[in-house]
Amino acid sequence: MTRRKFIRKLIKAGSVIAFGASWLISKASPRKFIWAVRVKKYPGHLKPLRDISKQGKWSG
Amino acid sequence: MKVQCELCPKMCLIGPGQSGECRVRINIDGVLRTVVYGYPCSINIDPIEKKPLFHFLPGTPILSIATVGCNLHCENCQNWEISQANPEDENISAYFCPPERLVLLTKSNNCPSLAYTYTDPIVYYEYTYDAANLARSAGIRNVLVTAGYINEEPWRKLLKYVDAVTLDLKGITEEFYRDVCSATLKPVQNALVVAKGSGVELEVSNLVIPTLNDKPEQIGELVRWVRANLGRDTPLHFLGFIPRYKMRHLPPTSLQTLEMARNVAMEEGMEFVYIGNVRSRDGQNTYCPDCKNLLIERSGFTILQNRLKEGRCPGCSKEIYGVWK
Repeated sequence: MTRRKFIRKLIKAGSVIAFGASWLISKASPRKFIWAVRVKKYPGHLKPLRDISKQGKWSG
Repeated sequence: MKVQCELCPKMCLIGPGQSGECRVRINIDGVLRTVVYGYPCSINIDPIEKKPLFHFLPGTPILSIATVGCNLHCENCQNWEISQANPEDENISAYFCPPERLVLLTKSNNCPSLAYTYTDPIVYYEYTYDAANLARSAGIRNVLVTAGYINEEPWRKLLKYVDAVTLDLKGITEEFYRDVCSATLKPVQNALVVAKGSGVELEVSNLVIPTLNDKPEQIGELVRWVRANLGRDTPLHFLGFIPRYKMRHLPPTSLQTLEMARNVAMEEGMEFVYIGNVRSRDGQNTYCPDCKNLLIERSGFTILQNRLKEGRCPGCSKEIYGVWK
């Protein structure tokens, strides 16, 4: 193997390792959000809107 | 893939299919989703004094909503049945009420303002933000009742659409926030300072819990912080604790303790100090800080008389902090 071929192989291997490492890092680090997207369906029970004119029983 | 929610200082790292500490912000397929947007579990019309909010449109009704969930887990929580609930719980159900319907309800019930309250509007942030935006464009004022446990960027963004805030400063030490609320004090103090600086009408409440934060020196420390950082004109409410959730072993706060707290605050120079969750002779009245004239007389949540003239004392013309019309 000539010195030129060896350097080419070295560069190729290095770039594969660098690409793999960056892919792993991107997968490992969490995606960050402030704004959450709404879901289409509420996971709990729904009730019809009743008379809302009376004072709430909750504090606040 | 995990996601990180950067809405509040908890900065929850949420695995696939899991929710954050608030129980309502969920990682679905690597995207953060809110499951309570448009689904309040409570809608009621309250007197605005119940929030408590004494310097903002006194005597008016306010449409008040909440979804389930909270980012704090206060052991003394007065509304734990909804704040610590999961949306899927059998015994808690919700209404379908997107922002457009909420604004219509507020209008049709002749409420000049809309409160995001009971649990904490921080955890239903997107719903609060969109509804507040829509309500403002319909001429409705927006009120937040919150513990203020939110990061600064989303807080500033939300405050643009908010007219008044009642912020619950639960204690004045990191130990109290850590041990009782599973939170930290600094972000709450920052939220208070940012809110005051933003120009919204700000009132501060403090639940006085026997043996935990009811010593005169603890009250004094809290009051001095409020005076130094928010100003002596910031209305301050000392609220009586009712034994609930994980603190049923403690007694309710006595009237004497609340009156002591009020006296400490007034001696420290606070101008508007109130006591709540108890009946008191004058602990719910507003007096002029200069000439001491009675300005607003209240009994519980009822306004007995309002003597303010254009937001000023009729005796000495001092401008009184608040939004009066």
